[in-house]
Amino acid sequence: MKKIFILYSILLLLSGCKKYIDVNQDPNNPADVRESLILAPVEVAISQLQNGGRGVYVTAMYLQNAALAQDAPNTDTYRATNAEMNSTWNDLYTTILKNLRLLQSKAEANKKQNYVAVAKILTAFALGTATDMWGDIPYSQAFNGFEKLNPVYDKQEEVYKTMQQLLDEAIVHIGKNDVIVPGKDDFYYGGDMEAWKKLAYTLKARYFMHLTKAPGYDAATQADLALAALDNGMQSNDDDLKMGYTGAAGQEGPWFLNFQPGEALVLASTFVDNLISRGDPRLPAMVRPAESSGQYRGRIIGSTIEAPENYSYPSDFYAGNGASNYLVTFTEALFLKAEALLLKNGYAAAQPLYTAAIESHMEKLHISSTDVADYLAARGTLTNGNALRLIMEEKAVGNFLNFETYNDWRRTGYPTLTIVQNAVTDAIPRRLLYPESEKINNPQPQQSAKLTDKVWWDN
Amino acid sequence: MRFIALLLLCACLQVHAKGYSQITLSETNAPLQKVFKKIQKQSGYGFLFSVQLLQQAGPVTVKVSNVSLQKALEECLKGKELDYEIQTQTVIIKKRTATAVNLRQAASPPPLPGDIQGHITDSTGNPVAGATVSVKGSNVTTQTNSSGEFLLKGISSNATLIISSIGFETKEVNVGGLTTVSVRLNTSAAALKDVVVTALGITREKRGLTYSTQEIKGAAILRTKEPNVLNALQGQVSGAQITSSSGAPGSSTRIIIRGPTSVLGDNEALIVVDGLPINNAETGALTSGAGSSRIIDIDPATIETVNILKGAAATALYGSSGARGVVIITTRSGGINRKPVISFSSSVSRDKGIFPKFQDKYAQGIDGEFQDGDIVKSSASWGPLMDTLKINGRPAPKYDPIKMFFQTGLATNNTVSLNGGNNNSGYYMSYSYFSQKGIVPSTYFKRNSLFVKYNSRITEKLTSTFQLTYTNSDQRREPEGATFGQPGPIFVVYNQPISWNPFPIYNTDGTQRVFRNGRNNPYWDLQNVYNKYNVNRFISVVTLNYQPAKWLTVSDRLGGDIFTEQDNYKESPSDALNTPGTLIDNNINFRQFNNDLIISANRQFSDFNINLILGNNIYSSYTQRHNIQGVGLAVNDFDNVSSAATITASNKHFLQRKVGFYAQANIDYKKFLVLSATGRYDGSSVLARDNAFYPYGSIGANFIFSELLSSNLSKAISFGKLRVSYASVGNDNVGVYSLQTPYLAATINNIQFPYQGQAGFLLTQTLGNPHLKNERLNEFEIGGEVKVFNNRIAIEGAWFSRTSVDGIIPGVSISSATGFSGTTVNSARISNKGFELLVTAAAVRSKDFNWNITANFTKIRNKVLSLYGNLTSLGRIVVGQPYNIFFGSRFRRTDKGEVLVDPDGFPVLDDVPGIIGDANPDWLAGLSNSFQYKRFTLSFFIDIKKGGDVYNSTELNDYFFGTAKSTENRAPIIYKGIGIDDNKPNKVQVSAQDLYRYYSDIDEPAIQDASFIKLRNVTLGYDLNKQLFRRSPFKSGAVTLTGKNLWIHAPHFTSGDPEGSTYGSSNENQGVLGYAYPSTRSFIISLKLDF
Repeated sequence: MKKIFILYSILLLLSGCKKYIDVNQDPNNPADVRESLILAPVEVAISQLQNGGRGVYVTAMYLQNAALAQDAPNTDTYRATNAEMNSTWNDLYTTILKNLRLLQSKAEANKKQNYVAVAKILTAFALGTATDMWGDIPYSQAFNGFEKLNPVYDKQEEVYKTMQQLLDEAIVHIGKNDVIVPGKDDFYYGGDMEAWKKLAYTLKARYFMHLTKAPGYDAATQADLALAALDNGMQSNDDDLKMGYTGAAGQEGPWFLNFQPGEALVLASTFVDNLISRGDPRLPAMVRPAESSGQYRGRIIGSTIEAPENYSYPSDFYAGNGASNYLVTFTEALFLKAEALLLKNGYAAAQPLYTAAIESHMEKLHISSTDVADYLAARGTLTNGNALRLIMEEKAVGNFLNFETYNDWRRTGYPTLTIVQNAVTDAIPRRLLYPESEKINNPQPQQSAKLTDKVWWDN
Repeated sequence: MRFIALLLLCACLQVHAKGYSQITLSETNAPLQKVFKKIQKQSGYGFLFSVQLLQQAGPVTVKVSNVSLQKALEECLKGKELDYEIQTQTVIIKKRTATAVNLRQAASPPPLPGDIQGHITDSTGNPVAGATVSVKGSNVTTQTNSSGEFLLKGISSNATLIISSIGFETKEVNVGGLTTVSVRLNTSAAALKDVVVTALGITREKRGLTYSTQEIKGAAILRTKEPNVLNALQGQVSGAQITSSSGAPGSSTRIIIRGPTSVLGDNEALIVVDGLPINNAETGALTSGAGSSRIIDIDPATIETVNILKGAAATALYGSSGARGVVIITTRSGGINRKPVISFSSSVSRDKGIFPKFQDKYAQGIDGEFQDGDIVKSSASWGPLMDTLKINGRPAPKYDPIKMFFQTGLATNNTVSLNGGNNNSGYYMSYSYFSQKGIVPSTYFKRNSLFVKYNSRITEKLTSTFQLTYTNSDQRREPEGATFGQPGPIFVVYNQPISWNPFPIYNTDGTQRVFRNGRNNPYWDLQNVYNKYNVNRFISVVTLNYQPAKWLTVSDRLGGDIFTEQDNYKESPSDALNTPGTLIDNNINFRQFNNDLIISANRQFSDFNINLILGNNIYSSYTQRHNIQGVGLAVNDFDNVSSAATITASNKHFLQRKVGFYAQANIDYKKFLVLSATGRYDGSSVLARDNAFYPYGSIGANFIFSELLSSNLSKAISFGKLRVSYASVGNDNVGVYSLQTPYLAATINNIQFPYQGQAGFLLTQTLGNPHLKNERLNEFEIGGEVKVFNNRIAIEGAWFSRTSVDGIIPGVSISSATGFSGTTVNSARISNKGFELLVTAAAVRSKDFNWNITANFTKIRNKVLSLYGNLTSLGRIVVGQPYNIFFGSRFRRTDKGEVLVDPDGFPVLDDVPGIIGDANPDWLAGLSNSFQYKRFTLSFFIDIKKGGDVYNSTELNDYFFGTAKSTENRAPIIYKGIGIDDNKPNKVQVSAQDLYRYYSDIDEPAIQDASFIKLRNVTLGYDLNKQLFRRSPFKSGAVTLTGKNLWIHAPHFTSGDPEGSTYGSSNENQGVLGYAYPSTRSFIISLKLDF
């Protein structure tokens, strides 16, 4: 009896202890949240990190839109490290794509068709950015935590198929006309599912066009696919995918932050001089004159440094504290159509869309109609010889500070770029390096890629 | 009541014991009071009596020669209505009453003829229980009881008694016709009762310990005049590395014992005050630079001793939290029957900065051309020689940025304390106010500290101690470090061209006047940027001791450590940095409770002394962090977050609990062999449920070989022991809630949710590990201690080898493609092997002159054995390398180690970064000397660190700016190296400016060997002559002059004091120095008075 009592006491004591220390439930952070709470920060992340992060910041320099007011060798003269890509990769995978995956599965479980659609569209968009930066990337084995600590990389072609499939599925989900739509958690479209559908089609067109030179793909077929998609794509500037900012302290857009004095990022001479030489009326609307001289002056990359105030910065439209961040635009849709038509039907067919595209961009910048007309006249009409160059040059202006320009330059060679002085590589970079964190934690054969190596579709 | 008051009033001055003394008296009709004074002088015993009572008793005639105290007292009180009682050093005279009959006699009937009654005490007058008393030449033997008393019956009146006891010299006493004897035993040389406080506050004799500890006395701590007790220990403890982070008033200090064992977790020793573990987190660092280690809230003046438990065997009983070593602080207390003493001490310190050296020849500019900072905003001091520079035709004035900016610091410290006690209780109270004005204007640290301790004997078997510390700490400081694009005045001052006048601060249009863009004017920073904290802290401990039998003690100790901390950071809107202004209010609400219930049994079985301890520990720690951040400040000089355009807030709670059961057994065989074993079973809330409980323990043996030495040898070697121990200690070194993978309120770059009225959550990037178990530290230790020349020289050494296994790595990086950038794993292995040596010597011991030397030496080698999976590095932790190496960009070298130089004359940068330095010192040593000549004392302490690199970003950046002293020689440089194209020694020269500016972009040139020899402190003291005080209320006093950091020899370091870590005491910041708040050289005068 006594023994049983002692045994019982010990058991009681131990179970009491177990209970006493069972206090490790996090009171600070929820274990689960509903869809709208995930969508809102993901949209901000896509704007801040995917379209304003290090990867895009770097390619803005490769495109000679931006430069660093710092000594060479530096990023703008193609000095690159794997480690500097850690943040962009990490943001895409752990902040954006993983949470989109969660959003999608939650919405599927709760049968919220429109959230499923939005998650799929944004997943395709983020995957597109990732694969265009690095080529082969992890996806089919990704997001499994401890289950799969070393996901192998999918071929870029597979990733592209996945993206198109996700966009197709999203369109189907939207077609179900579910009454539950996102509200103010959707900073982009405020739950306007028609707009989301137009975005899905426009993205489809964008990604079809990326493969015009891909091995095993036919340019004309890709153009047809793009044209078909664009019929349902964006129809006006109101359809633009953009993130607006209040501009209040601590709530500024990414390009405002990228062009803060501490970053030493300024505009490059190539971009500024192109606008000047073409007499582009958008110059004052896009570029701020240098503070010290009042002149429009970009930095010649690789030249002797001067004080940052000797150089131009982007205008408030692009880099003001309240500037919207333009992710996918109607202007781009028009340029895509122009390029597709050029491929299919020649320069004459492309001409009206080329004009419309420039006009749509100038409209946003409030350029007077006479200036628009004068400029178009000065630029001349498309010819067989100049059509692709003009379309891509103008698209690059329309997509200023957008990562898409880097894809376009790699695909078409326009806008024409020459290697900068004091470059550390013998060619302009054609990709981003795989991140150091990935090389350490998940070694894969693709990671040996050099800065000048091409991704699969780049030919 | 009145009687007690009188007792107190008339209590005699207590004098130190003079050892066992025989008393001789020859008085005729003398007042009792006078007689007692004589006895007191001869015996060293104090007297407690009522004057009234003595007067009533009348005078006495007494004549005794060489009798015991008891005998003398009996003679004095013969025929009087008085009785006496002896209680630890004090004789209490009281009225003889029926109830208060002489306790000695009440205990046993009056001795029969031939019976001997006796009382055995130790040298301090405490009874010696269990002593063996035998009659020489017979079998008669007995043992003393718990009061040290014995009774032997039927003994011949001329018998000789042999009295022996463990740890005492055996004594022979001739009975000589006496019926009562009182014998005082001397502690045996081999067993000088060096009692130290070990784990869980258990006091043990040092001789019996199977592991290494080191005790530092409170006096030695006070001598350093450091407000932070850890700084006071710097360089004095073998096996420990104690590093201050910066010179800012109140800044943090790191203590690592026997090397770091955790990759990214806490590596600092546990701090325990009177048995209560207290919080020593680094807090208050809302901005760049070090915070404060919260041990700063402990007033060093209240400390009696600090004992450092080093190895795992020593700390196994503390278990989880003690695996990294334990600093046991024992506070002062009053004593029973102690006369009240009021002490007052005051000190004033003048502090001067120890600055980097800067070039003071060249003006602002580039390529030798002058640039006027008011016209051309330029960060460079590569301009023309100041001597030749003319502005508007006049010689340009030169400004010394350092002299203009820094001031002489001033610190005052005032302490008043009161201690004493009556017959059943003792008290100690102290209040101190420390106030330090830093050498950077506007910075300060202030501390008000109140300490009260009351111990009382509730009954014969039950004693209690209650203590309470209240501290208010208040700090203001400026951001430190290389704060590119952020506020921080030191960074700007160190780069300020000597041709530029920083005043006025403002331009006529109200904007800041700066010499370059992207930096604030440093004087503007002082007024507009600050980091403050205010801490209110209570530490309270209640201890109850119940002793139902002389061999059994049950004690319970309940303690609480509670503080609230208010942190504020303010940064006004700056036109120079184009920042909107920020205010942060961060409140920390902390409370930690700890209870230990300990049952201790001690029994002697023939030759074995067995000590058993059983215990239970319950621990709970709760933190709340309430953070409000406002950006975009609209109202000038209004430091309230309500003026902010965007306000974000967070509120977090953290709760951790632990339970532990432990046992310890010490078996002492014939006082030369000790076997010790501990076991503990812990449960921690932070581990996975299935792995929450884990056992561990230690085992050790101790062989006191000097007990077996022949008498000849033991004359030379008075004490010698060898010990060996092995311990395996479990540890839950991970933060709370690491098992779960929750959603977090989203923060995307600058944008914090809720944003535009919309809440947002994203799944954390850190994958929770639901299987987390404890890590483990395995340690083998061997050591010894030898005392020679009659204990004049003591040498103590230890060698240890410790390996942490299953090491918890919080935030180890994993492939982001998993969806997470990091997780927590149980896989790190780090080894530390080391050697510690401590030598103390009484070089000279004489009446007027004493010279004591203490030297310590520490050498620790550590190595990271593995991290996780394929992972070979985590920041500064690299597999196969010592802990905390420096990794960075470096020069390319030939196989022989020569730097390759390109055809333009510049050293070639290696494509891949690599290991460029190691922050771990080769060895550490300390040497302290103290001399005492009559009333003068002189002591000085030399601290030596050999090896250990620092990353000196002050020097590196100042290469670029052209302000570093090394840039003063601006002749073209031929870089020593091998041409990369021709394999020949380089002959191409480059301009100094180009080379230094090229350097500044590379990590390798920033690495400097931080070896140093420091004269850390020198103290000259004078004990004021008692004669001086004859007509004053004072009893004693002392005046002390102290110098700190009077001399620093650091041959390879170029920026002042090589010690420290600008960014605080955490792991990753170790050895990174740059634009830190300079440490100081101080002159201190102090006065101490006792009344």
